[in-house]
Amino acid sequence: MRNDDRSKRPLSASRRLFLQRSSLLTGMIALGGGSYLYNPKGVWAADPIKVGIATDLTGAISWGGIPNSQVAKMVIDEINKGGGLLGRPLQMILEDTATNEQLAVTKVRKLVTQDKVDVVFGGITSSMRNAIKDTIVNRGKTLYIYPQLYEGKECTPYLFCTGPTPAQQCDTFIPWLIKNGGKKFYLPSADYVWPHTLNAYARDVIVKNGGEVIGEEYFPVDHNEYSATVNKIMSSGVNVVFNTTIPPGVAAFFKQLNEAGFQKKGGRLSCVYYDENALGITPAHEIEGLASCLDYFKAINDPFGNQLQAEYGKLFGDKNPFTAGSGATGMYRGIKLWEVAVKEAKSVKREPVAAALDHAKISDGPGGGCEMVPGTRHVKMNMYTAVSKGGKYEIVEKSKGPVMPGECA
Amino acid sequence: MSQPTDLSASSRPLRKVIPWLELAILGASLILPAFTDDFWTLFLTRVFILGLLALSFDLVWGYAGILSFGQALFFGMAGYCTALLATEVGITSVLVLLPVAGLVGLIVSLILAFIVILGRRVPSTVFVALGTLTGSYVVERLARGWSYVGGQNGIPSLPRLTLANHEIAEGVWFYYMALGILVGVYVALKFLTRSQLGLVLAGIRQHETRITFFGYRVQHVKGIIFALAGFIAGLAGGMYAFHEGYVGPGQLSPVLSTQVVLYVLFGGVGTLIGAVVGAGVIEYLTFMLSEQYQRLWPIFLGLLLLVIIMFRPTGLIGFLVSGRERIGSFGRPGDSAPENDAAKNPP
Repeated sequence: MRNDDRSKRPLSASRRLFLQRSSLLTGMIALGGGSYLYNPKGVWAADPIKVGIATDLTGAISWGGIPNSQVAKMVIDEINKGGGLLGRPLQMILEDTATNEQLAVTKVRKLVTQDKVDVVFGGITSSMRNAIKDTIVNRGKTLYIYPQLYEGKECTPYLFCTGPTPAQQCDTFIPWLIKNGGKKFYLPSADYVWPHTLNAYARDVIVKNGGEVIGEEYFPVDHNEYSATVNKIMSSGVNVVFNTTIPPGVAAFFKQLNEAGFQKKGGRLSCVYYDENALGITPAHEIEGLASCLDYFKAINDPFGNQLQAEYGKLFGDKNPFTAGSGATGMYRGIKLWEVAVKEAKSVKREPVAAALDHAKISDGPGGGCEMVPGTRHVKMNMYTAVSKGGKYEIVEKSKGPVMPGECA
Repeated sequence: MSQPTDLSASSRPLRKVIPWLELAILGASLILPAFTDDFWTLFLTRVFILGLLALSFDLVWGYAGILSFGQALFFGMAGYCTALLATEVGITSVLVLLPVAGLVGLIVSLILAFIVILGRRVPSTVFVALGTLTGSYVVERLARGWSYVGGQNGIPSLPRLTLANHEIAEGVWFYYMALGILVGVYVALKFLTRSQLGLVLAGIRQHETRITFFGYRVQHVKGIIFALAGFIAGLAGGMYAFHEGYVGPGQLSPVLSTQVVLYVLFGGVGTLIGAVVGAGVIEYLTFMLSEQYQRLWPIFLGLLLLVIIMFRPTGLIGFLVSGRERIGSFGRPGDSAPENDAAKNPP
């Protein structure tokens, strides 16, 4: 797991160095003198570029942090196999933020002040991003890339967001829901920032498309008794439930809704953070027909995504899958976009990289290529609508081209 | 130390360890920034601030016998109030914000004291523990749900504290400010706990009913100490918010309150230095273990804390300091009568 602190241990460091040097020597001898003599900045000769990854490996959000860290490792190893960046290898320094904002600030401080990393990727919840962003960006003068889908409105300079925003998750999805569900929406939600902000945006899109919001209701994050709400939904002829209640309570809500016969009467259940990983939360029949809108599903079945999945599965197994809801796809996108920006800037300094990252573009990725929208530090990307059938997603709609993030414009 | 044979020890002169320990820690703290890199300076500053919070809990539990699970409440409330003053009103002067932080802690703890300590009936330890825990929990939930203070996300990107137009950047300046405040509070508490009031506190902790029969209004004394501890926790909370650059509901949470309890139990309850040492050692262990064992460290840390607290109820300080010195003595050297009574029944 760790690949940064071995160097601190004198014994293994010298052994490792010996192995590195001796294998380098063997390589040089094998290739003949010319190849390295004209390449003074050979891979091992240069200082590594330090990439800080700060994510929740333990605690309540570790289901998301572990895939994030694994994707980062996969991509960074791959870049190193291809010769690194600017002739320098990448060194990944992983820190556990432990789903604990207090500890996270210290961890991120270590990355910024002690390791002096060139860029930080990470954070999953918005509260985590808010806690660590100042330490990285303002006090630490370092570039920060945040991978997770979130409520938008993060417009701090030098902070780039590579996950979907409310606009991306609603603009194509809600018209589809109206067409394939109906006009009457109900918005049951967990009471924290993301649902509030997302619902405000969703409400606008619903009204603009001729729908109406019958009810918008907020519950404590650990609420799990929804019979009153289910009654209201069933008695008021709601067509679409746009859910933002969260695990573990969401399982109880979906179960109660299903038992009341919502889907049987033609109702459409929807939830925009639901990825393949979340399908396992409830029995498949309870969420039959659930619709979700994300930047990537395995079911897209594109060759590039499939190859990524195969590679990821080979390295890490299927216990912590590579999905969109955990921010793992955003992490992939973030590192690749940063790679492109570093190549263009020919530097890892913050100013030139940020300037290049502002319009960076990759042609391939999970769910297709994507690019930064200049001046907004957000990414435009393809969005997919998928419906759960028998415990598996089926893609029912793909956005016509990349969807704009609609933030910080 | 509860064996009767220990009584004979009182005739031997006591070799004191704690003053040396205090001096060593102070001396090391004074010169450390010259030898460590920026990160460890920041790390230690945070330890000093948490040490201050630990002192506040040590005062209420180790000296007055009030089991407060609400220290984070005062800490976090002060953090929120000063953060709002800085972001909404634009006040960043340390001379305003830190006194305000302490005052917020004092007021909130007084309010809580009226509810859980100064009621008509004498509250049991468990009642106070649950009362403070509930208070902390309620306020955390409110903070998470209140969008004016950022809800779950808290208030990010706080400006730096200033002193006469100079920014106190986190680093060496903040380090010495935190150290100075910690030492000031420490010394004041040292005097307090060795004063007549301290003697009353020791009496309350050991046998509350007897002190009541002496005519002391035990609940009032407890209320005063509780409010004083609230002031210290508030002071720490204000500094913490500006040192970390953000304030969030985690700083109010029962989780942090419990962590403070651990600092003190681990370091050595009832000795002021134990609280500071406990905060430092636990923070260091947390950091190092999580660096080494990224997925399993919470288990290792938990086991370690459990083992120490089970087999060394007197905490880390118990390894270095005798029971007699830990409990301390009152009055002039030689008047050692009261201390033995106390030494027989450590908290």
